[in-house]
Amino acid sequence: MKSDTPLLEVKNLDVRFAVRGGDLTALRGISFSLDKGERLGLVGESGAGKSVAAFSILNLIARPGYIAGGQILFEGEDLAAMSERELRKIRGNRIAMIFQDPMMTLNPVLSIGTQMVEAIKAHRRIGTKAAREIAVGKLRKVQIPSPEKRLDQYPHELSGGMRQRVIIAIALLLDPEIIVADEPTTALDVTIQAEIMALLLDLCEQENVALMLITHDLGVVSQVTQRMLVMYSGRIIEQGPTREIINDAQHPYTQGLINALPQMGEPGARLFQIPGSMPSLKNVPSGCPFHPRCDFATDQCRQTMPEYVRSGNVDVACYEVSNLIEQEKRMQEAGS
Amino acid sequence: MTSPLVDIRGLEKRFDLSGSFLEQITFKGGRFQRKQEAVHAINGVDLQVQKGEALCVVGESGCGKSTVARTVMGLLSPSAGEVHYGGQRIDNLKGGDVLPYRRKMQMIFQNPYASLNPRMTIQQTLEEPIHFHRPELARSEVREKVQEVMQSVGIDPEWGSRFGHEFSGGQRQRIAIARALAVDPEFIVADEPISALDVSIQAQVLNLLMEAQETRNLTYLFITHDLAVVEHFGTRVAVMYLGRVCELAETKTLFAEPRHPYTQALLSAIPRLEDDRPNYIRLQGEVPTPVNLPSGCVFHGRCPYANERCRQEIPRLIVTDGGSQVACHAVEEGRL
Repeated sequence: MKSDTPLLEVKNLDVRFAVRGGDLTALRGISFSLDKGERLGLVGESGAGKSVAAFSILNLIARPGYIAGGQILFEGEDLAAMSERELRKIRGNRIAMIFQDPMMTLNPVLSIGTQMVEAIKAHRRIGTKAAREIAVGKLRKVQIPSPEKRLDQYPHELSGGMRQRVIIAIALLLDPEIIVADEPTTALDVTIQAEIMALLLDLCEQENVALMLITHDLGVVSQVTQRMLVMYSGRIIEQGPTREIINDAQHPYTQGLINALPQMGEPGARLFQIPGSMPSLKNVPSGCPFHPRCDFATDQCRQTMPEYVRSGNVDVACYEVSNLIEQEKRMQEAGS
Repeated sequence: MTSPLVDIRGLEKRFDLSGSFLEQITFKGGRFQRKQEAVHAINGVDLQVQKGEALCVVGESGCGKSTVARTVMGLLSPSAGEVHYGGQRIDNLKGGDVLPYRRKMQMIFQNPYASLNPRMTIQQTLEEPIHFHRPELARSEVREKVQEVMQSVGIDPEWGSRFGHEFSGGQRQRIAIARALAVDPEFIVADEPISALDVSIQAQVLNLLMEAQETRNLTYLFITHDLAVVEHFGTRVAVMYLGRVCELAETKTLFAEPRHPYTQALLSAIPRLEDDRPNYIRLQGEVPTPVNLPSGCVFHGRCPYANERCRQEIPRLIVTDGGSQVACHAVEEGRL
């Protein structure tokens, strides 16, 4: 593999849901890439399509949803066109997933050990004893005390934070190249969240695993990821280096999202608020989907979807930004 | 200091786990034994809410903050201790005697999907408390009142004939706030009112609550786990751990100079936008179960500064020179 091809490349992905009365487009023209060992954040509010994006990377979209177009290239192979059998070799093995709710992801009637050994044996020809040894090693890695004892315990015997650690250990079992984590700490308390996030970050750095972190918490994205995507109504509206976007967001929606955080305002003062709410998939506005809530909306925004323009190292889909960039260019030309 | 609007004295609440008398009896070693078990949700909480302030109660899940809210409202009766409102003891009132206080105290709940009756229109939902508490009002006056509160929370009065499910989460929470405001209360208990909402909607609802506080001269008891919101919204903050208040201070003082080791850990765990890496104080272990409370200071098992005295003696809230009240032996002795 050449070093300049990314580990994962999603090109123009469209995901639709076939429901009564026609198709709903959940993802529209999603394109991004993920390099080896890179940490990518996927941010947006509920209904933006971030979880659908995460599931579609593993081709886990179930009916009535389907991938309507585009490619998901993992080391050059298209996951969207693969058979179930081929996909099974990749899922959990080379791309692992961590889900939101640690209460729901573990099987309540099987011991932790059984579940871990099962996952290893599904992908490798290995004896139970050797598999248990791998499991103990991974549990130790996620800092679970006395891992040998934990293998014989059941999920209900562990606290929420411990369960999420076990789930991270299961994700690491087969040394994957990518971990997709869908809101891994949303169900947890703040102090536990900080511990789990720090653990995930350390593990990804140590093992050089790429991380795709889906979250609505901009603080977490700022602490953990190197690059971020901002989604709105099934589209990526801004993507680039995390620091650059957090410090100087270009898209009016990203700006609004950051300024709406209580930690950005003076205590006691009114918070910046974006009027209205995210449109439902049934009636996505024409043109730029954000235009009904945007202060800068023009007729152009209402009619056509803006293309991506580059500002610094950030790609933004917004006419206001592209107009500003062009204005600046003209000024410079006139000046020289 | 003027006398507080709400005065909570030595509040305790236990939830019985062991069931009826017969279920408590066990036959062991040739003898009958009676065993009683209870969840100690609140263990001696003293709080005063001053008129016009927003007192925030923060803590992690299981610390008893919601139980405090419900006990103050009279939705739960305390196992011990008293609740006073405007100088009058209210926790032991019966039947019709509570009614005048119910009108002065209203509650906003966490989940706006569950707190609105799905079979009532918004008009009916908002009229019900007015009819109930002010039967002397004529129909047209009630309708006027409903129009006024709907406008004040930013819901179009034209939508009165719609049902709860036709609204988005943010709009539903606005309606829940309108219902609380409909009877012109003085005091509002808000139990995690924005936790179920998206970031941009959280800002809208928080602004609405602050606006209502100014225009209607409201007093809040605000329960939340989100410290960033507290920093923005609260006048004073009470930090709870395992059913006890461990620190109580003005918001500014608490965030500038947290004294209790638990408060320090909690504050360090907030993911901040400026941070490049998670940077937090690590606590040992996890929150113990409230069934068997630890002896002495409830926090001693996880506290890096704990000594013999902490393991045996329960610390009381003492006033420090910074003006905050802290329940910690280490702070009292000047070790911290």
